[in-house]
Amino acid sequence: MARSAASASDGPRKRDETRSADDDASTDGLTGPPALSVERLTKRFGDGDDAVTAVDDVSLAVERGSVVGLLGPNGAGKTTLIKCALGIVVPDAGSVRVFGNDVGDGRRAAYADVDAMLEGARNDYWRLTVRENLRYFATISGVDPDSVAARHDRLLDRLDLADKADTPVRDLSRGMKQKVSLASVLAGGAELVFLDEPTLGLDVESARTLRAELRRLAVEEGLTIVVSSHDMTTIEAVCDRVVMLSNGRIVADDSVEALLGAAASDAVRVASPDLDAEAVAGLREAFEVLDVDREARPPAVTVAAGGDRLYDLTDALRAAGVTVSDIRTVQPDLEEVFLERTGSDLGAPSGGDRR
Amino acid sequence: MSADTSPPEDPGGAAAAEPGDGVRPDDEPRPATYYHLARAVLYREFLIFVRYPANAIGGIVVSLFFFAALFLGGQLLAGQALADSIEGIVVGYFLWTLSVGAYSSVSNDIGSEVQWGTLERHITTPFGFAPVALLKGVAKVVRTFLTSAVILAVMLLATGTRLSLAPVTVVAVAGLSIVSVLGLGFAAGGVTVLYKRIGNWLNLLQFGFVGLISAPVFDLPWTRVLPLAHGSAMLQRAMVDGTRLWEFPPADLALLVAVAGGYLAGGYLVFQLATRRARRLGVLGDY
Repeated sequence: MARSAASASDGPRKRDETRSADDDASTDGLTGPPALSVERLTKRFGDGDDAVTAVDDVSLAVERGSVVGLLGPNGAGKTTLIKCALGIVVPDAGSVRVFGNDVGDGRRAAYADVDAMLEGARNDYWRLTVRENLRYFATISGVDPDSVAARHDRLLDRLDLADKADTPVRDLSRGMKQKVSLASVLAGGAELVFLDEPTLGLDVESARTLRAELRRLAVEEGLTIVVSSHDMTTIEAVCDRVVMLSNGRIVADDSVEALLGAAASDAVRVASPDLDAEAVAGLREAFEVLDVDREARPPAVTVAAGGDRLYDLTDALRAAGVTVSDIRTVQPDLEEVFLERTGSDLGAPSGGDRR
Repeated sequence: MSADTSPPEDPGGAAAAEPGDGVRPDDEPRPATYYHLARAVLYREFLIFVRYPANAIGGIVVSLFFFAALFLGGQLLAGQALADSIEGIVVGYFLWTLSVGAYSSVSNDIGSEVQWGTLERHITTPFGFAPVALLKGVAKVVRTFLTSAVILAVMLLATGTRLSLAPVTVVAVAGLSIVSVLGLGFAAGGVTVLYKRIGNWLNLLQFGFVGLISAPVFDLPWTRVLPLAHGSAMLQRAMVDGTRLWEFPPADLALLVAVAGGYLAGGYLVFQLATRRARRLGVLGDY
């Protein structure tokens, strides 16, 4: 989408064209500074013994046009990080730049290009119709609504809301309200969009539609999207890159493939009716047995046997007279990667439950 | 609201079309000017007013009910004494409904927007919150004038009272009087952002307006610097004695403007400080 409105010189969307050297350093040859650049950001809530460090010395750069997931349990600091980037939480230390504009001082210039759908927020006016909301919030974000009317129609079409354009939001289903909320965030042409738990509370079907739409919007409109969630399905489906947060710190930051690849442990699951106690004991002597599932039909063992060790495993199974009914490598998911890196699982809140 | 004020003579923003950006021309987003902002904010208030008339009608009915209780009860208790001062009571009550309308619509509005998650979208607007808040305030005042005009008409008919209703004088004096209350509304809204529960208690402040409206400005001249007090005395003279706006001493008019501006600025400052603190505490945008 056009950044031209933002760069037009009059009107409140005037931007600060001065760039500092460190912006350019982190752009990897792309034009201009990254969409989001967070440096050594720290935010504590409360004081004394009750103090909770929600974000702890986090540095992060998000390139234009990428879709980045923030994955972590409740209380990991995802929402605080987002609110700092929006300027609605003031950090204790560090800085946040949006397209090169410091959210801390040149605030208004930074606001023009960023918007967010925050968890639990309705984000729009339920007493207005869908289209009235889009027009209102486009204006508030500094865009003349008449100039983007066609865009709004496209957006409504895409989100399957065209039929409901003139319906008050309060009369829509929950899934549709969520989509209107998203549409109102996109209506103003923000190019960096934060979505905090966008699929929370949606039924399976609505969540799937929303995920597909997010992906499409990112590609077709060239948006930079930061999705925060503790739901790895959303993150895996939508994001190119995942930043894992735990207790306010980044514990992993890589592409989805790389994270899954690195964790692509060497675990192999073998199922066979011949896997009795004796056979398992035999395997334990030569291999690291990760899991034994006697309840499965047929019983199964998970063995660490990456690379050439797989041949050793099949040899050992043949020697023990085990006829294999099924053998597969165990595919890790982000949940396991997170578990591996932090020792805690995504469902468990980390630290205080401060969002 | 500084150097980035948009040119008002360019409402379409057409001159802002940016060359060389390689974007489809049919879809070129143009920057919104303050004209667009004003239109959007006022139009939203208008839509909600006409689409949900029950709120306004409910307010009118409740106000009239209280007035009826006051009037009929007063007749029983005070008899002729009330009849002699009925004009003053009608004017005072009119100003009170205006004040309560302006105050509660602003403070409740801020409270609702906090709940809906729309407040921070107005705070993080590239326009800055001040023009948005001022425009919303203007919309609330206009709306309140409409409902209070209905209440005034019913009061006049029911009591058979005659008052001077020179529109320019009444709107100017009453309008400036309640601008000070608008400031209190912003302050209360700011406090609500920080301490959500206190917000409800602040609604009780509107009963204090009765004291301000009937403040003894002649015996205690210093009370004129309180919100409403000086404006209330002027409104009495305008509506009961028929004094026109230009017949007031310039000093009185100056004080009216100064009190209005002072409380509005003060209230906005409190709101600013409160939201700044909320940002630091991380409570802005907590639902």
